[in-house]
This record gives sequence, structure tokens and C-alpha cells, in this order.
Amino acid sequence: MKMLKTTLLGIAVMAVISVGSAFAADLPDGRSLVERVNALDEGEHVTRNLHMKMIDRHGKERERDTVSFRKYYGDDKKTVIFYKTPSNVKDTAFLTFDYKNESVDDDQWLYLPAMRKVRRISASDRGDYFLGTDFTYEDIKKEGKVAIEDYTYNTVGEETIDGTKTYKVEAVTVDAKTAKELGHSKAIIWIDPKINLVRKSLYYDLNGNELKTLITKEVRKVDGIWTRHVLDVQNHKTGHHTIFTFSEVDYKTPVEDRRFNQQSLRKGL
Amino acid sequence: MKWGAIGFMLMLLSHAAIAAEAESWVDKIKVSGTVETEWAVTPDQGDSQKFETIIQPEFNTDLTDNASLTAILRLRADAYDKLEPGSRDEDSRSPFSRRLLIGDNVDAELREFYVDTFVGDTSLRLGKQQIVWGQADGLKVLDVVNPQSFREFILDEFDDSRIPLWTVNGSIPVGDDSQVQLLWIPDTTYHDLPERDGSYAFTTSRLVPLAPAGFNVVINEEDRPTNIFSDSDVGARFSTFYEGWDLTLNYLYHYNDAPVLYRTVGAGTVTINPEYERTHLIGGTASNAFGDFTMRSEVGYSTNSFFVTQNATDIDGIEESGEASYVIGLDYSGITDTFLSVQFFQSVLTDDVEGVTRDDVENTVTFLAERTFVNEIWKAETLFIHSLNDGDGVIRPKLNYEYASNINVWVGADIFYGKSDGLFGQFNNEDRIYVGFEWGF
Repeated sequence: MKMLKTTLLGIAVMAVISVGSAFAADLPDGRSLVERVNALDEGEHVTRNLHMKMIDRHGKERERDTVSFRKYYGDDKKTVIFYKTPSNVKDTAFLTFDYKNESVDDDQWLYLPAMRKVRRISASDRGDYFLGTDFTYEDIKKEGKVAIEDYTYNTVGEETIDGTKTYKVEAVTVDAKTAKELGHSKAIIWIDPKINLVRKSLYYDLNGNELKTLITKEVRKVDGIWTRHVLDVQNHKTGHHTIFTFSEVDYKTPVEDRRFNQQSLRKGL
Repeated sequence: MKWGAIGFMLMLLSHAAIAAEAESWVDKIKVSGTVETEWAVTPDQGDSQKFETIIQPEFNTDLTDNASLTAILRLRADAYDKLEPGSRDEDSRSPFSRRLLIGDNVDAELREFYVDTFVGDTSLRLGKQQIVWGQADGLKVLDVVNPQSFREFILDEFDDSRIPLWTVNGSIPVGDDSQVQLLWIPDTTYHDLPERDGSYAFTTSRLVPLAPAGFNVVINEEDRPTNIFSDSDVGARFSTFYEGWDLTLNYLYHYNDAPVLYRTVGAGTVTINPEYERTHLIGGTASNAFGDFTMRSEVGYSTNSFFVTQNATDIDGIEESGEASYVIGLDYSGITDTFLSVQFFQSVLTDDVEGVTRDDVENTVTFLAERTFVNEIWKAETLFIHSLNDGDGVIRPKLNYEYASNINVWVGADIFYGKSDGLFGQFNNEDRIYVGFEWGF
């Protein structure tokens, strides 16, 4: 009797393992999912308004209005953000040259109107938070894409988010140095396979604790390109919260090259 | 006269704009600005130094599809009138750049007024504006295009203390990553130096000639150049981005913004005749980022600099020399939310001079530490400037709190130390603690 029980239990365990393996085998490879996200069309250039709302854990809000321009030059891209309001940050501007060649450091400049100077800034601290928001410089630069070489990937399941089926991909940083640079050790990424867009990301700090959650709340097609319109990031450690709302997104109007130089930062919009 | 000129410029622009695009530019005017109040007390004197309110509105509009107009006004009121006591003269400024002084406590100024436009690929900014050259913070080598108000020595933000000038400013692109900037500055306005009874009046013998005991001192009015053509300044800057380096070459033919205090000695009287002298300034800058570090450097050579001499036999009390200066700065941002910056500044007199009240080689170091907290709602900083020659300096801690998107409050201190004849030590009795508030609209 005892032997029969053991046999039945063994069969049951094997069955569960087999079903699990078959399920895992059906899931697409995590890296290829991320590669598809990275291949998503962003347009050769874009102009858009960005409203930033920053909310502290007591509910106090701070807001900024900006205009940004981005343009690809082959595989390299240049992005510039101009602050319009409020008055105390008006005319602040941030320019970045993002190079495809990983061996070349990105170049970044910040124009501080109080100094009337363009300051060259280090691009090494990708995990630092961007001008008081809960988005890092890396988040701003990648615009929903993922630096493929920074992580190893594993698809761990499927999940429905706000009625949208997604694949859940675990992305673990390749080494401690990368983790330190990015400010997190691991991310869980929920990818919408229909439009190859990250719907949600949960980041873990260097000690493995939840750090922040980024949710893509509104996605619409503009000029035939799937475009994130509302991004909401919640920092679980500080209770601080940032909402980015994009508007007047324009992929058609050409963006002049002269937007992306230091003279442009000084002159403003 | 001065407001008439401004009015005339406004009318010209108005007519040009109206002709180009009837009435619509008025509808497009955007108004923003700040209201700032700062109260400073000097513990050594047990008294308030200033209680100042500055209203600074800014107007922007598009005149045409290819031209925009910016106007910035400043209205300033100080309850204590210690920084510029009484009704100061505006002789160091051209009539087109003078302030409107309303009693002893209030002044109004057209700070900036310019049109931005493009002619082909050439960018033009025409009108009253600030031009900032150089890479150094707090120390000036190439940032001498605009004169400066020293009513608060160097404690005021340079953006506030720099005196905007009527300027033709053109930038011509050269290739993909280079530009040539050309400047013509017909505005013969120079430094605002504090009156002898001002809080930050210069007393150090490095800057002020000392009269022999028993002599009467007569200071004549400064002989300010006035011809907008022959006395104008011109400048050029070539800037490029090459292999990760930001590089510039600069040239400025200008009047030194501080008058040279020539002296004549008569029977029982020393007469000071302030005159402005021209110089050529040649220099350049280089900066780049290396990992967590950013290197900034700036070098300049001025062909004609003038220094007070203590040599009693010197005919005019002034020695002339070339002056080479440079700054090397290193910024470190490898600690989250923290910015550290050190600078080394050296000034070298290149000619033999006798009895001058400064050293042939002068060295200054600065250290800046900034740290933000709670998503940059709080910002703490300390700036330390120290003269290695005189052992004097100033320490400037400050704490800023962003109460709301458009409201900042701060508290800080400016603490001078060192010998009383040093550039910084002369203000030992003007240490101050201040609180401030700024509202943006």
C-alpha cells in the first residue's frame, strides 16, 4: 500500500513537472522579447511636450513643463529637453548624445540659467535620478527601451495588465558593476507582445528589495507609431512618485540639427 | 534720455513686428518672472545689511516665424540702502544702459531686451544681453565680456550682478560641430564699483591707492569712453566639439571694465584720475568628461593690465603688465545626489613691475560641495574660495528648500576671513547671515 502511494505521488510530481516544462517551452525567449521592444519604431525624429508631476510621500506636488526634441543620426541619437515652467527652472536645458557604440561614453550637457553656462556633465551615473524626478538618466535616455547588454533575460510567465496580455521577463544585471551603475540589481519587465512595448517594470535595489515600479498608463498611435503618453513611476523606498505626461507628439515635422548644440541650449526655445 | 532711447527701440521693434504680422505678436506675449526677497544681517555690526525685494518680469513673444523678442525688467527696492548709499551716480554706464533711480532705495532697470533671429544658418541676437564665456565657476578669466556690479562684491549671483550690454551677437555654424561667434559691443558701460560709504566699498591697497599722510585726496570723475564706434568692444569665439572635447578659442578687444586710477601729486594734494584702458584678451577653454569626473579648463592672456604701485617715485602710481591667467577645475559626481568641485586659479604678471600691491604670481583655490535630498526638494551647498597668497577667503554655506514648484526659500551665510588688506579679508566686518524667498509666476 505504502509502495503504491509512493508510486502515485511520483507519477503526480512528474506530471506537474512535465506540464510546467511544456508551459515554459511555450514562452518566448526573454532576450528576443526585449530585442523586439528595442526594434520598435520611434520615428527618425520627434518633437513633444512633457509635463512632469512630482509628488512626495505627503502628497505635495511639484510640476514642470518642458519641450523635447529627439533625432536619430544613423544608430546614434541626440535628445534635448528645454524647461518652460515654472520660472525658477525656466530655460534649464539638457542635451545628450547617445552613441550606439558601447565603448564610447555618451556626452551630456546641462544649461543652468542662473549661471548662464553650459556645464559638461558626467554620463557615467546612469542610475542617478533625473532632475528631481523618479526617472533615472538611463530611463530618460532609453525611452522605454532596454540596454540589451546590461542584463540576462528569462521569461517567467504570462500576466494580464489592465486587460492586456503580457509576458513577464526577469532581467538580471550581468555584473555588480552594471548593477551599481544602474542603481538596481534586477528588473521584472512586463512586455506587451502585440505592440512590443513595456507596460510595466519593477526594479529591485542592490540588496534585492523593491525599488520602484514604472507603469505605462496610456499608449496611443501617433503618425503610425505606438507612443507612450502617460508614465507613472512610484519609488517604493522614498514614497516619492513621478508622472510624465506627453502631449503634442509630432513625428512628422522635421527637427533641425541646430537644436542639438550648446548654442541652442543657451538660446533656449 | 536713456528711457527715450529704450522707448525708441521698442517703437522700432513694434513697427517692424506689426508690419510683419499685424497685431498677432501682441497676442503671443508670454509673461513670466520672479519676485525675490532677501534679508541679510551682519552679526559683527549687530544690524541689518539689506532687506531687498526684486521683481523681475520677463516678456517673450514671436515677432515673426523667424524672430522672437525677449524683454526682462528689474525693479529693486532695499529698505536699508547700505549697499549703494544715497543717490549714486551712473557715470560708469552709457546713457543707454543706466538704471532709473527712484529715491535712495529703489531702482528700475531694463535688464535685457533682444531679438533672436536667423539669417540663413547664422543665428543673431540683437539688443541688450549677457554674453558668458569661460568654464570657471566663481572666478573670471574669459567671462569679462560684460561688466559687473560689485554692490555686493562677488556675493550676488553673476546672473544678477553682470551688467547686460547692447550687443550685436552673431553665431555662424562651421561644419557640423563648430561655430564662430562674432560680437560688436557699442555700449560703453563698465563696472559698477561701490561708493566709498557702501558696505562692500574696496579698501584694500591692492585696488585703492593710498595717499601719503597729511595729503588731501581729490578724486576726479572717471573719463569714460563715449564713442559707440571707436570705443566699442569687439570679440570672436570659435567653438567646436571634437573627439568628446568641448573646445573654444576666444579673442576680445575691449576696455578693462575697471578704471585705472592714475595719480598726480601736487602740493599737499593727491589727485586721482580714473581712466579706462584698452586691452587684447586671447584665450581658450577645454572640457571633457572622464567617468565620474569632468575636467574644465580656461586660459587667458591680457596684453595690458594695470596695477596700483606703492613706489612713491612712480609718476602716475600705476604699473602696466601683461597678465596670464588660467583655471583648472575638476568636478566629481560619483556619489549619488552629490556634486564636488575643486578649482585652481593662477594669475601671472608677465612683465617686470615695481612696487605693485599684488604678487607677481597669485594662486586661488575653490571648493564646492553640493548635495540634494528628497528628490532635490532640499539642496545644501558650501562654496569655499581661498587665496593661497594672502591666506584670506570666504566661506559660503547655503540651504535651499523648494516649498512648491514656484516657491523657494533659503538660508545662508557669507563668512570672510583673513588679513584685512586682502581681497576677501577687507570685508571681515561684513560677514552676513541671510534668509530669502522667491516666488515664480
